Amino acid sequence: MTRQKRSHHKLKRAIAPYLYLSPALLIIGLLMLLPMVTVIGYSFQNSAVLRRDPSFAGLKHYQAIFADPVFWASLWHTLYFTCMSVVFHMTIGMVFALMLNSDRINPTLRNILRVLYILPWLFTAVIIAVIWRLLLEPNGVVNSVLMQMGIIGSKVEWFSSTATALHAVTFANIWAGYPLFMVSLLAGLQGIPKDFYEAADIDGAKAYQKLIFITIPQLMPIIISISLLDFIWTMQVFPLIWITTGGGPIYSTEVLSTYTYKLAFSSYNLSQASASAVVILLISLGLTLFYIRYQKAR
Amino acid sequence: MAEVILENICKTYGNSFRAIDQLNLSVKDGEFLILVGPSGCGKSTALRMIAGLEDITSGSLRIGGIDVVDMPPKDRDIAMVFQSYALYPHMTVFENIAFSMRLAGKPKAERKKRVDEIAKTLQLTSLLDSKPANLSGGQRQRVAMGRAMVREPAAFLMDEPLSNLDAKLRVQMRAEITSLQKQLGVTTIYVTHDQIEAMTMGDRVAVLKGGVLQQVDTPKRLYESPVNAFVAGFIGSPSMNLFEATLTGDELTSGTFAVRLQDAAFVRRPALRSYAGRKVVFGVRPEDLYDSSLESGRKYQTIPAKVTSIEELGSEHIVHLSIDAVRVDSGDPDAVDDFGLASNAVARFEPISAVHSGSEIRVAVDDAKFHFFDPETHLAI
Repeated sequence: MTRQKRSHHKLKRAIAPYLYLSPALLIIGLLMLLPMVTVIGYSFQNSAVLRRDPSFAGLKHYQAIFADPVFWASLWHTLYFTCMSVVFHMTIGMVFALMLNSDRINPTLRNILRVLYILPWLFTAVIIAVIWRLLLEPNGVVNSVLMQMGIIGSKVEWFSSTATALHAVTFANIWAGYPLFMVSLLAGLQGIPKDFYEAADIDGAKAYQKLIFITIPQLMPIIISISLLDFIWTMQVFPLIWITTGGGPIYSTEVLSTYTYKLAFSSYNLSQASASAVVILLISLGLTLFYIRYQKAR
Repeated sequence: MAEVILENICKTYGNSFRAIDQLNLSVKDGEFLILVGPSGCGKSTALRMIAGLEDITSGSLRIGGIDVVDMPPKDRDIAMVFQSYALYPHMTVFENIAFSMRLAGKPKAERKKRVDEIAKTLQLTSLLDSKPANLSGGQRQRVAMGRAMVREPAAFLMDEPLSNLDAKLRVQMRAEITSLQKQLGVTTIYVTHDQIEAMTMGDRVAVLKGGVLQQVDTPKRLYESPVNAFVAGFIGSPSMNLFEATLTGDELTSGTFAVRLQDAAFVRRPALRSYAGRKVVFGVRPEDLYDSSLESGRKYQTIPAKVTSIEELGSEHIVHLSIDAVRVDSGDPDAVDDFGLASNAVARFEPISAVHSGSEIRVAVDDAKFHFFDPETHLAI
C-alpha cells in the first residue's frame, strides 16, 4: 500500500463514526437546536415573528416577565406541582413495587395487581385529563363517594375552586405518573440478591431495617436517576393542565408551560413568551446537567 | 458453642418433591462437620434449614439443647457464610462486619473494638474503609468470615464459601478456615460439593445423596470403608474404579481376566463367601493399580489393559485404561464419563512409569485393597 493510499484509508476510518452519526445530528440540529436558538434570539427582540424587522430589545422581556406576578405564581405552581408529583410518584411507586415483589401476596393476585397498577401508564395525557375531569366534576363520582362517606358535606368544585384546583391537577398527575417509578423500582428490587435479605435475617434485621439498610441503598441509583428525569419531564407538563383547568381559575394552576403558551398564542406576545421559554429551558438545562454529572459519577 | 442435633429431619416442597428424607445428624460441640454430596443432593437445603432460612417439614432440630424448629434465624444463635458472601456493596468492610452489632443497637465504641479485634485476626485492618467491590475474592471471603465471627455464635454455617475462588486461593483459604475454626473452637457445619475440601477440612464428613444421608465418618474411614458404591465412587479423586465380576471360589473373574483373592479378603468380609458363583461389584482405587514393569508392582497379580491416555502431573501419572470388564455406575450424577467410551478405569502410576498412550500393558492389582459391593443394593459387603 502506498503512503497516499494509507493516509486515505486512515482518513476514511476517522470520518466513518461521524458519517454514521450525521443523520441523527442533522435531525437534532434541524428540529431541536435550530428552534431553540431561534427562540433564544426572539427573546431579545421586540415584536418577534410579528414584524419583519424586529428591533433589539436587550433584556427588556426578561425584566417584564420577572416583574409579572403571574410569572412568579406560575413558577411557584410549577415547583409545587413538580415536587409533589415526584415525591408521590416515588412513594407510591415504591409501595406498589414492594407489594408486587413480595412473596406474601398470592402469585395470581400479584399478576392482576401488576396489570391494574400499570394501567395509568397506558393512557395519553388527554385521556387522563378527560377521566379526571369526569371524576372530579361537581356531580362526579368522587364527590358522590366522599359525600356518601361523610368526608365532605357539599359538592366540591375540584378544578374550579382556587383552593383545590392545583391540588387536583397535581393529584391527577401523580396518578398518571407513578407506574414509571413502580416498574423501574420493581426491576431494581428483583435485581437485589436474595442472600442480602437472608444474611440480614440471620443478623436479626427487622423488616423496616432491611428496607433502610438494604433495599433503599440498593435502589438509590434508580431512585436518583428516575427522580431527576421525572423532575425534568414534570416541569414541562402542559396538556394535562391545559385540558383540565387551562391554568385557572384566576391563575391558580398556572404553570410555566401554560403561562408561556398563553403569552405566545393568547396575547401574541411572542417575545415575552420566548423569554419565558428560555427560563424554562435554563431550569431544565440545570437539572439535565445535574443528571448527566450524576450518571457520569456512577 | 453448642451441639447441633438433627433428628428425622424431612423437607418436602409444595410439588411433593422430597429434598431431605429422615436426616439424622449429631454435630458435637466444637466439631467441624462437612456436608458433602453431588449437585441437588440436599446439602444446602439441610444447611438452610439449620439456619432457619427454609422451613422444616418434619423432625426436630436442637442447637445447644434448645429446639429451634419454630425459631426465626436471628434467635438460633448461628452465623452463616454464604456462597456469594452476601456482602452489602454500599457498606464498607467495617460496616459489613459491624452490621449485626448495629442492628442490635450496640454502642459505637463497642462495635469498633470488636471489629478491630476481628480485623486483626483476619488481617483486614488496612481494608476496613474499603468497599467490597475493591477487594479480591480472598479478602471478600475473609470479610464474610468476619461478619460471621462478630456475632460470637454457637455455630457457624458455611455454604460452599470457597466455590467462587480460583484453585490456588482455594487451597490457601481452606487452610485458613480450618485453622481459624480450630482457634475459635466453634461448632461448624460446612457444605461443599468438593470432596477434596471435605477430606481435608472436616473432623467428620456426612455424605448425602438424593436427600438421604449415606455415611457420616472421619475422612479416613470414609475413604477406607465406604458403606456403599456411591460413597466409594464419590470420595476420592480420581474416583474408585467399580467393575462387575463373578466370584468363583476364591477367584474373581471378569471378561478375560481373573484375580485370585487372598484368604484375608474373606476373613475381613465373611459375607463375601455367600456370593460364590454370583455376581459382585468390586472396587479398586487408582492408587491400588500399579505399573507391573516397576518394582512397586512386581509383587501383585496382573491383569491386561490398554492405555488410552495419560495425564503427566509431575508427581504422578494419571493413566486412563481400558480393561476387559463391565464398569459399574456409582450413582454420582456429577461424575464425568472418563474420556468417552474408550476408557473404563483410571490408575495412578509413579512418574517413572514409561507406559504410553495406545500401549497394551499388564496392570498390577493390590487385591487386598479391593472393596466389594452387592450388585443389587450397592451396599458394602
